[in-house]
Amino acid sequence: MKIYTKIKLQCSFLMLMFFLASSNLHAQSDPSGTKRVTGNYAIQNATITTSPGKIIKGATIILKDGLISAVGTNVAIPAGTDIINGDSLFIYPGFIDGGSSAGITKPEEPARPSNFDSSNPSDEIAGITPWRNVLDQLDMTSNALSDWRKAGFTVAQMIPDGGMISGKSAIVVFGSPNSTNVLLQNTAVSARFRGSRGMYPGTPLGVMAKFRDVYKNAELSSKHMNLFTSNSGLNRPEINKTLEAMYPVLNKNIPVIFEVSNDLEIRRALRLQKELGFKLVLSGVTEAEKVIQEIKAANATVLLALTLPEDKAKKTSGDLNEEAQGRTNRVKEAYETALKQAGILEKEGIKFSFTTNGSKSGDLMKNIKIMIENGLSEDAALAALTINSAENLGIQKFAGTLEKGKLANLVITTAPLFSEDAQIKHVIADGYVFDYETKAKKTSGGDKNGKTSDGVAGTWEYISDTPAGSSGGTMTIEGSGDSYEGTITYDDPSGNGKAEAPMKNISTKENSMSFTFDVSAGGMEIKVSVSGDISDDKFIGKMSLAEFGSFPLTATKKPNQSNL
Amino acid sequence: MKKLNYIIAAFLVMVWMPSKGQTQKGSVLIKNATVITITQGDLEDTDVLVENGIIKKIGKGLTANNVATIDAKGKYVMPGIIDAHSHVALDAVNEATAPITSEVQMADVVDPYDIGIYRALAGGVTISHAMHGSANAIGGQNITLKHRYGTFNPEDLYMKEAPRTIKFALGENPTRVHGRGKNIQPRTRMGVEAIIRNGFNEALQYKKGWENYQNESKQKGATPIPPKYDGRLQTLVDILDGKVIIHCHSYRADEIYALINTCRDFGITNIVFSHVNEGFKVAPELAEYTMGASVFADWWAYKFEVYYSTAYNAAILTQNGVITSINSDSGELIRHLYHEAAKTQRYGQLSDQQALELITINPAKQLGIADKVGSIEEGKQGDLVIFNDHPLSVYAIPQMTFVDGVKYFDIEEDQNDMRISVSAMETVEPIFLKEHDHSCMHGVDFFFTNFGRNLFEHSH
Repeated sequence: MKIYTKIKLQCSFLMLMFFLASSNLHAQSDPSGTKRVTGNYAIQNATITTSPGKIIKGATIILKDGLISAVGTNVAIPAGTDIINGDSLFIYPGFIDGGSSAGITKPEEPARPSNFDSSNPSDEIAGITPWRNVLDQLDMTSNALSDWRKAGFTVAQMIPDGGMISGKSAIVVFGSPNSTNVLLQNTAVSARFRGSRGMYPGTPLGVMAKFRDVYKNAELSSKHMNLFTSNSGLNRPEINKTLEAMYPVLNKNIPVIFEVSNDLEIRRALRLQKELGFKLVLSGVTEAEKVIQEIKAANATVLLALTLPEDKAKKTSGDLNEEAQGRTNRVKEAYETALKQAGILEKEGIKFSFTTNGSKSGDLMKNIKIMIENGLSEDAALAALTINSAENLGIQKFAGTLEKGKLANLVITTAPLFSEDAQIKHVIADGYVFDYETKAKKTSGGDKNGKTSDGVAGTWEYISDTPAGSSGGTMTIEGSGDSYEGTITYDDPSGNGKAEAPMKNISTKENSMSFTFDVSAGGMEIKVSVSGDISDDKFIGKMSLAEFGSFPLTATKKPNQSNL
Repeated sequence: MKKLNYIIAAFLVMVWMPSKGQTQKGSVLIKNATVITITQGDLEDTDVLVENGIIKKIGKGLTANNVATIDAKGKYVMPGIIDAHSHVALDAVNEATAPITSEVQMADVVDPYDIGIYRALAGGVTISHAMHGSANAIGGQNITLKHRYGTFNPEDLYMKEAPRTIKFALGENPTRVHGRGKNIQPRTRMGVEAIIRNGFNEALQYKKGWENYQNESKQKGATPIPPKYDGRLQTLVDILDGKVIIHCHSYRADEIYALINTCRDFGITNIVFSHVNEGFKVAPELAEYTMGASVFADWWAYKFEVYYSTAYNAAILTQNGVITSINSDSGELIRHLYHEAAKTQRYGQLSDQQALELITINPAKQLGIADKVGSIEEGKQGDLVIFNDHPLSVYAIPQMTFVDGVKYFDIEEDQNDMRISVSAMETVEPIFLKEHDHSCMHGVDFFFTNFGRNLFEHSH
């Protein structure tokens, strides 16, 4: 009996603990911002940078229902305002991303018709889809997006994924998950020099020609439409949604945002711009020093890549002969020039902003500090993240600085933004407060969420760019530690569809992975070897085909299904 | 101090960007050389003066103020070598996705950083014809490049005064890529001809549509509807109008003759045949109806249609009055086209003059630039090579190469690393062994598929 009571008691105690624990959860502040007591906040006695170079110490900022209602040292706090103590905190305008792919899912490729003609595919199959709206591809609740918010971003222009003309972008705010968060739609047409797999246009050659074709026919179609609506006795124009979707570009109401990967691609975009006359945004700019005068002459908007190369020369070890040493020095020079990009653009008076596309949120401050060490001023760095980005997007009326009447988008740090000790404590986006844990001491590892525990295992989607176009498939890897097994799919050499082969000799070392697989074609076995570097869920490497050469291959790990 | 830094920086920028704005033109006086003019015989102990990129004077005892002077005593000066069929300095070669891709332009994908340009300069080559590949019956528009190595800007390499040219291809490549690879036309040589004829006929209709539109537009109060734009057909119209020179990849005599007939039917005279391994069988026809043949010296048997070949091809064509050139189609052969030309003396006993014409004035004629380059004449562009020995000697080594009077290669100043642009990401650059492709071509379907097509890009 006694024993029974004791057990009962213990059970009750456990139950109590359980309830305590769970109610405790509910009582915590709501970091996702799904519900809140008030939309009015005041942050007191902080150091506020209202725009680059303009700093007010001991200032108060008042936010009311998503807007900044006052900022300054002599500000009365209205009743019903949630007061955040800003002592020793630093407040900056929320960062604005000129081109983001966070939370974007690539639309599924449409099925090919049975009489598919690869020399003349439909626009949609060929990746020419300017009518697509990025909002149809965007998941505002994705982890990728909240990671960027945690890094300080409050507004981003979302770029649709897809083929050479993928669709229309939109500008969103990283606010409440219960809102659509859309600030502006159809802000730009997104384009890139990537050809379609196994069909026209397959290479940059075809992409350039096809772009001209689409643009010129959009002009003619628009002309036809105008004639038809203002005259009688004319045949009606055949409505074509590709061409119609290009009209705002012809009117220069919206720009074409071209993704570029090097200076030669910058030149290709400029070449098209010069011939056709559209407004141009260059996204992912690198190696700008080689083409700076031309960028200026074209008055193109520059979105600098936030990614920086690794210092490969540093890794080169051992005794090098004179020739190898010379080569290593040149790689080092190229590396140093890459770090100087932002500084060069500032000196040239180009009001650039950033694209986060292809970079990691955890690297943001690290990379910007490297850019600052290499010639970028702190004011210009902040401007690139805030006001310049707002101006480049045409949203400076309501975003980019901390002024009365602008959107309540703020980044609040524990120390001056670009200092060693700075940590982000709060991000306020669209008036919603997001709190982040800060640590007393800076830890070296940052806050990685243990993604590497299962190593390279998982499903990867890869693309290999060859001079004849891109091809791709999936790599499915199982196992852990030293023993991995996997299969890879690839475009079947004997016709349409995919073939599959086992991945052999999978080896991983620190941040790199290599493996081989065999392709049989026409009675001949061809050994393909792949090697490259892994960072988080990206693999960047090369695919070598026996003695025929090697081609860049990039892969992205799909999130584990269990996490969804 | 700050000002001084600024001046130094400005100077560095000037040094590193020699060709900002207009392409660079140079002046040079080469003295006491044996000048192989090509068009006006060989001149002993002669001077050549280039001013602002143009050959100003050829003669003895020339002087010039403030012009770099080179004593070339005992050396040979010849016009810059011209390669009428090359794929050097291109980022992409084949848009192998449709049987006709006349809308694509090689000018869009010129890579000024390709070290192949410098290697070509080291072989005395000053102009190359950067061509589309041979996957399609009608390929892309080519670009004639002057090897002004050292610029970041691809447009600095364009020879802007050269006429437009386009790549055509007959035989196994287009039939395999499209017929066998994708089960569309052309699957046979007949299909290739049909594709070309249909293309021209469509182009005529396209031209008519636009002419009607333009005529109607001129009438008062008319509101004609504009036709669709088609860059593909517009280029074919330009061919029919004589504005574009066809350079056609071809091997077999029957289909060479068939395309000559097609061209005659459509009134096209601007056509050069490339490779033309069986050209010796139709030499009189080539002489009468075409702008000539651009051949290999002795390269064949890399696929079935290229077995019936002879090293006497260039000599037979030359003796039959065909404008003949020898091309490289390769980043390796381009480095010693003077050796390739010399082979015609072993196989066909061509004279020095005839042999050197194969790599100078003749390819210039085929590219439509013979009034500007291809020989050493007053008024022509200052593209020159200085050899240590007679260029047809096995001991010949180019010493200096000039384009527009600017020295781009000097064997004495040849550094270990002549790359213009270096990737920060790669300590060792990947090596592309494109020269292997021809031997890997025959009978391997893999190379004609989506996955393996990249390997195909450089097939002959």
